[in-house]
Amino acid sequence: MSKIKFFIEQSWLLLVSSFFFGLLIATANSAWSPRIEQNKKDKLTNLMKGLITAASNFEPAIQGVEIIGAKGQKQITTIYKGINDKGATTGFAFIASGFGFADKIELVIAVDKKCEKLYGYKVLFSNETPGFGDKIKNAYFSDQFKGAPVGKFELVKAGDPLKIDDTIVAISGATVTSTAMVNIFNMYIEQIKEQLKQKGLLSDGK
Amino acid sequence: MANEHSAADTQYFRAFTTGLWRENPTFRLLIGMCPVLAVTTAVKPALTMGLSVIFVLVCSNIVVSLIRNLVKPHLRIIMFTLAISTFVTIADLYLKAFQPQMSEALGPYVPLIIVNCLIIFRAEACASKSSLTISILDGISFGGGFTIALCILAAIRELLATGKIFDVSLMPSDYVPLLAMQMPVGAFVTLGLLVGLSNLLIKERTS
Repeated sequence: MSKIKFFIEQSWLLLVSSFFFGLLIATANSAWSPRIEQNKKDKLTNLMKGLITAASNFEPAIQGVEIIGAKGQKQITTIYKGINDKGATTGFAFIASGFGFADKIELVIAVDKKCEKLYGYKVLFSNETPGFGDKIKNAYFSDQFKGAPVGKFELVKAGDPLKIDDTIVAISGATVTSTAMVNIFNMYIEQIKEQLKQKGLLSDGK
Repeated sequence: MANEHSAADTQYFRAFTTGLWRENPTFRLLIGMCPVLAVTTAVKPALTMGLSVIFVLVCSNIVVSLIRNLVKPHLRIIMFTLAISTFVTIADLYLKAFQPQMSEALGPYVPLIIVNCLIIFRAEACASKSSLTISILDGISFGGGFTIALCILAAIRELLATGKIFDVSLMPSDYVPLLAMQMPVGAFVTLGLLVGLSNLLIKERTS
């Protein structure tokens, strides 16, 4: 009995404070979490709209898609369907991620409704080196993916970045980031196409 | 009676000004260096970080000052950490809800305020021994000093790295941006020069 008394005497303030602070955090979280969720959705929708301009609305087409990397690592993503005002599918978009030079790189990648050509990508998160790796946000690099055929990409150190094909000209001084970008595309794009085919979501039915 | 008032006023004035200059956490004490180096690439994130630190510092000082006579000495650090982490979580949630772009720009550095030694230092050195008013003034003073230092550092780095501050162009049109100022080397060099300058000013004043 005296042990319990001692315990309460020593820690009553800690117990009361823990309850009070827990309540404070729970209140703040419940008040602001809908807004936080909405912010995340808005950001993703805006990025997808920037890629699939013909779409006015986006909805999840396939959830919990499992992507397996070259070393057997697994990533889970959701494929979103872009829909125009008439209700027709205009393209698909998904979040893809991989490790760059400094940190994880997260992209939103969009493909056309037949999954034959890329609409391009937008950077959702990147912490790459300013002036070097962060050039993945620049049109000079990202435009190489716009209209490129869906398939495996090859990274080259020199070439014409204006030529749209399966070769990507690396950013000078940012080989690790450029390689990471190509790896992300190569890891995701064919598996995403396969998933869309299996679910019969591609507009040509193939 | 007049002497008592004047002594109290001096004490309040001291509490309010100490952290701003004489014991500025960045330029004089060199504490809380992680965000100083990491978030000062531009003024906006630096200001947001500074305001977050002021909020956490003032709130934790209030709590610590209120419980200073109730808390058992050997449990004080866990109590301080509990209070600090609560207010940091609230600040982080607020930024995510109302300033999502800033929250993203600051990344993990807002949650990391929990381990910023400035906060626990003021809880231990001032709030756990002082009245509520002194603790609040101390929080504003040290938080303000930290914010001012972050903003000065960020303004220099942003200006030299982009030629702009708050998206307003301040450099001649033919100015060549110094990209190194956005990288860690820019933070270390600018901080070193500012610390040297503050040492020089203090030395001149004392001599």
